[in-house]
Amino acid sequence: MGRIAKGAATALLVAALAVVLVSTLDLDSGPPADLKNHLYYHGSEQTGSINLVSAIYLSYRAFDTLGETVIMLLSVVGAATVLGDRE
Amino acid sequence: MRESEIVDMVSRKLTPYILLLGLYLISFGHLSPGGGFQGGAVLATGVIQLALARGVKETRDLFPLRRFNLVETAGFFLFLLIGTIGMFAGLSFLGNFLPIGTPGRIPSAGFIFFLNLVIGLKVGAGVSLICLYIMEEG
Repeated sequence: MGRIAKGAATALLVAALAVVLVSTLDLDSGPPADLKNHLYYHGSEQTGSINLVSAIYLSYRAFDTLGETVIMLLSVVGAATVLGDRE
Repeated sequence: MRESEIVDMVSRKLTPYILLLGLYLISFGHLSPGGGFQGGAVLATGVIQLALARGVKETRDLFPLRRFNLVETAGFFLFLLIGTIGMFAGLSFLGNFLPIGTPGRIPSAGFIFFLNLVIGLKVGAGVSLICLYIMEEG
């Protein structure tokens, strides 16, 4: 009985997930063309960086990168707390 | 663990070049594929390789954990400092306050180079720290 209930719950969950995924499936999607073209044609001259990945994550989205460094710092703090030397 | 002459030799000869490649990826992050996060991961690879081949204790003698912790913390505050300088220069937080220059020349891209440097060292120190902590347990 438990196995059947578990199977039914799994099937329901997978079906719900499939509905969500299929409903968001849009073959024409992607980044908006305006934004893409703007970054492609003006990214280098606005930031001075040829590598557009660097231009985006350190100039247009530098605040995002600040958050990533906070995540890195917190993960190190967590590892040091759990696994570090206990003096 | 059994000692292996080949692993020992190769890892010791290879580690400086791995660290050099990581620094190259970091410092040319605004010109060629690469950047702070990627270069930092490569830096950590060198440290981890040394720890795998020579043992965690010897690696910790060469790269003290205290120094890694210092780099990790100082990197975060340097990032904040660079962002705040942009505010005082009349731009937004994390505004590019240095001259941008011609894209493609070596001094170009303003503060992207410095942010890459800070992030690269910070990621390298952080990943090395986590891996050294984990490998020490085993």
